[in-house]
Amino acid sequence: MAAHLHLSSPFSTGLPLKSPRRPRRIPSRSSLPAPVSARSVGRPLRAAIIGGGPAGSSAAEALAAAGVETYLIERSLAGSKPCGGAIPLCMLDEFSIPAHLVDRRVTSMRILSPSNLAVDFGRTLRPGEHIPMLRREVLDAFLRSRAQSRGAHLLPGLFTSLEPPSSLSSGEPYLIHYTSSPAPGALAGTPSTLAIDVVVGADGANSRVARSISAGTYSSAIAFQERIRLPPEKMAHYEDLAEMYVGSDVSPDFYGWVFPKCDHVAVGTGTVMSKTEIKKYQAGIRARAWSKIAGGEVIKVEAHPIPEHPRPRRVVGRVALVGDAAGYVTKCSGEGIYFAAKSGRMCGEAIARIWNDNSKDVVTEEDLKREYLRKWDREYLWMFRFLDLLQRVFYGSNAAKEALVELCGDEYVQRMTFESYLYKRMAVGDWRKDLGLVWRTVGSLAKAGIMGKEVERLRTLAEC
Amino acid sequence: MALFSPIPTALSTLSSKCSLSTKPLFTLPNRRNLSLFVTRSSADKGEGMVGSAAVEEKVEKKKESPSPDLEEKKLEEEEKEESPLDSNGAAVKVEIPKFQDPRWVGGTWDLKQFEKGDKIDWDAVIDAEARRRKWLEDYPEASSNEEPIIFDTSIIPWWAWIKRFHLPEAERLNGRAAMIGFFMAYLVDSLTGLGLVDQMGNFFCKTLLFIAVVWVLLIRDNEDIEKLRKILDETTFYDKQWQATWQDDTSSDSKK
Repeated sequence: MAAHLHLSSPFSTGLPLKSPRRPRRIPSRSSLPAPVSARSVGRPLRAAIIGGGPAGSSAAEALAAAGVETYLIERSLAGSKPCGGAIPLCMLDEFSIPAHLVDRRVTSMRILSPSNLAVDFGRTLRPGEHIPMLRREVLDAFLRSRAQSRGAHLLPGLFTSLEPPSSLSSGEPYLIHYTSSPAPGALAGTPSTLAIDVVVGADGANSRVARSISAGTYSSAIAFQERIRLPPEKMAHYEDLAEMYVGSDVSPDFYGWVFPKCDHVAVGTGTVMSKTEIKKYQAGIRARAWSKIAGGEVIKVEAHPIPEHPRPRRVVGRVALVGDAAGYVTKCSGEGIYFAAKSGRMCGEAIARIWNDNSKDVVTEEDLKREYLRKWDREYLWMFRFLDLLQRVFYGSNAAKEALVELCGDEYVQRMTFESYLYKRMAVGDWRKDLGLVWRTVGSLAKAGIMGKEVERLRTLAEC
Repeated sequence: MALFSPIPTALSTLSSKCSLSTKPLFTLPNRRNLSLFVTRSSADKGEGMVGSAAVEEKVEKKKESPSPDLEEKKLEEEEKEESPLDSNGAAVKVEIPKFQDPRWVGGTWDLKQFEKGDKIDWDAVIDAEARRRKWLEDYPEASSNEEPIIFDTSIIPWWAWIKRFHLPEAERLNGRAAMIGFFMAYLVDSLTGLGLVDQMGNFFCKTLLFIAVVWVLLIRDNEDIEKLRKILDETTFYDKQWQATWQDDTSSDSKK
């Protein structure tokens, strides 16, 4: 017994905190021997989620469904986010999104190369497969109200700052300072404070939560978009078709798009390296799609940053970042809605799991990293890496973009692409066809590279 | 909406003002220029015209502004490109020269016009396509549903590419390898006394030969070394950004 006592004290001085692989059954693993608060273990965990977009609402729903006392802070309930609005098909099932929220079902994606060679992506789609397009305000409102119906408390207001406890190993709460939205008729909102055990930062690319925990910054692309209402006969062309334009006139390192929405199209482009020239690229995409959008009326102009890679620290103390705040946007396609919602849900479920499993009185940074970050990285890192590779190889030069479009004409490529995009899983293909695809890729890139060099040679000849 | 209609007029006034005021601006001290810069840009704030401010800067010494030529060019291009984009649908045409070539028919190259004797001259097809792509880089064209582009380079047979591009380079590389190989064989023979057959039997020599072959395949110019190093860095860079969150685990933590 005495020996056991001797053994248990070094354990409880915090040594096991360093290695997450220790078995969780060691008691008093997380804190000093003396209990630091008078709370009993049975009281519910208090969680606050800053930001009520897809990430925040999914986290709120997962937490509330598990019995956690959840507060969702959102600053603009009626705002509409500038966004492409396309979600993968699996999101409809995974998040039980009702069909009437979908504005359009895109079954064909046309990619146009710098020389306007057009390839229709979508010949291999099975009946019923499509890319759902929604309005963000509709989707966000639905997810938020569902989180509320599960028990989350929606607090309209603006998050201002976060006060961490003096010591993280104690059970002291974080203090969230926010300004609640003014009541109708009032001029200003009231500053309020919440005592919270776990914080989920889901407040988007310019996350304030990330800044308050010094999560680090990321490089970001800017996406610029104009919503244009077209005359009906031109709108008919975009009935179930979305277009992607690649070329250095449209973007040096990304693509330009014409995506149909409920009764208008969104025409836009994006870039990382030449943000100051975004207007020029917007002019470029408009010129390229000119014959199809002439006569339209611009109803809105919007721009937003898109993170290019995750922040250096995604979990700090008992604060976890999800969605755009964490930087979960794929390269190449710039897709973020699904990953935001999925990471929110995964984080919420992780917190609930940590709380219920151990019945400890505090959730630690290690727990969050193990249950949420490691799982997330394990499941999706390969996808992010692959898309980064695609972007580096195919968006580098005009020649590479031509090769990309040529390759997209291949049926196998189309099927594999849609499988992985629509269902977010590694598409299993025939190894022979895979080899054939590798061969074709090498061939296309070689030919396009040669063409590129020829163009350069002609250019230097012309300049001499 | 009125969003874009003021731009062409604003741009034309700006550029005319700039050309008039080049001389005096050189003599004015920097602060004066800055105030001009501020008033101009605030007038355009609604349009967010970064380019307008930069045109002012270009007039000053080059080192004071980051990329004056680009900004100026961008402005000119915008002037050219903005004009068809009058969003109210008013017929404002801009003269972007369209690609014309008698052999480019209906969105593809008419291969019959490339025939030399009874065979198609693929080199000429490749040249024509390269010229078309260069043209389009300089004057991008609007895509249209009525005249789709059908030409795709897979029409050109694989041996045409190899004959034109790979073979000459292969010949050059093989020639270099042969010359170096002969000289090295002579050198090693004079140093060690091993003849060619004995040299090939030695494991060390075989390894050197292998390294030499791989080197020649990957690195053909001096720039290739830098390129390879950059590619290696880039492939691991994205991964490093993802793993950054785990770096803290090993270094800190116990202070919490």
